[in-house]
Amino acid sequence: MPKCKKSEGQAIDYAYKVLPPAEEVPFKEHLKNCQDCTEAVESYTAALELTDQAQAELVVPEYALRNIEMNVYKRLAASQEQTWFSRLGTYFTSVGSPFGRYKTAAVSSVAIALIVAAVLIGKPPQPEQTFQLTEMQSAEARIEEYREQGIQWNLEEALITHHLRNDAWETESQLNRMKEQAQGTSWTKVADKHLQNLQSGTLNKTQQN
Amino acid sequence: MDKLIDDEMLVAQFQAGRQNAFDELMKRYKSKIFSYLLRSVRNYEDAEDITIEVFFKAYRALENWQPKAKFSTWLYKIASNLAIDYHRAKARNPVYALDDAEIPETHLVATDIHSDPVKQLEEKERGLIIREAVDQLSPKQKAVFMLTRYEGLQLKEVAETLDMAEGTVKVHLHRAVKRLQTLLRPLWENNDI
Ligand SMILES: [Zn+2]
Repeated sequence: MPKCKKSEGQAIDYAYKVLPPAEEVPFKEHLKNCQDCTEAVESYTAALELTDQAQAELVVPEYALRNIEMNVYKRLAASQEQTWFSRLGTYFTSVGSPFGRYKTAAVSSVAIALIVAAVLIGKPPQPEQTFQLTEMQSAEARIEEYREQGIQWNLEEALITHHLRNDAWETESQLNRMKEQAQGTSWTKVADKHLQNLQSGTLNKTQQN
Repeated sequence: MDKLIDDEMLVAQFQAGRQNAFDELMKRYKSKIFSYLLRSVRNYEDAEDITIEVFFKAYRALENWQPKAKFSTWLYKIASNLAIDYHRAKARNPVYALDDAEIPETHLVATDIHSDPVKQLEEKERGLIIREAVDQLSPKQKAVFMLTRYEGLQLKEVAETLDMAEGTVKVHLHRAVKRLQTLLRPLWENNDI
């Protein structure tokens, strides 16, 4: 097969539409008389079009995006806890130093038990209560905000299901999901009220509280 | 929040202690970053986890961020590095790689497609074959291809994102397109497009 001496890169760039403007006109002229390059451009274009179609099938569903922010804050809070935990470790190691050479495995396990207890009780140790902790509290406030947003979304979705599709079974399971998510908040009462209304046939879309 | 406030302004606000500014940045970019990662790792759960990691890292690093490049380029840089790490880790773990159906090149060429054309060339199957062909690109080729083709980044921005010279970006791009052409040629040579 005869191979044109033109750069293969130009054919790719042309198919990819990244050929520098100065090279474009001469290359177009060249294409008019070169079968090799024309075929090359056609096959690169075909490969790219196929790839574009296949990639277009990959869509991120809306619901997958809902919890991103909340999970980022959870991740931040978790990493804070970790830092905090390792700081506790350092703290107890230094506190442990008066034990001097008697520092044994038993002492370390006491330290670990104390760390665990402190974490469980939720009382931060005295030494390192600074910026990091404020940041952690802010992460927790954000998690709550996003959680509430999620609860509201689910409630809205349940009401929409009820209103548009009149699907009692689906509405009920969505309300239950919402209730589960709302565990420990006053939103559970809202969920209960809606579930009651659903059962008595008095639930309507405009009802939010 | 006003779209007229540009990303870099939001970063400055965040650095000045306004937490909401970071939320706005996440809102602006979560879909783009998630899509980019989904194309790259082809697994929803992993793409979601890495997206969270991207913003986590961004949050941590933003305090000291200097506006040398665009915020979006910087964010793509974090995402690209994590995606490249992901692919490397996967390559090191052959069991995992097989699980994710990394079909060897030989399985993708014409003979196989001829053997059962009806089944092979159903829409879904074809999409899968094509995406698997994209998976055969090296992590860097893949990153260059995805960033230029689907994220709308200019070659110069990709160079910044991936810490490469612009010429190197071009080389990766050429190899990526050439490889795709080789792998996918059987699909159109059988008149199926
Ligand atoms: Zn030619």
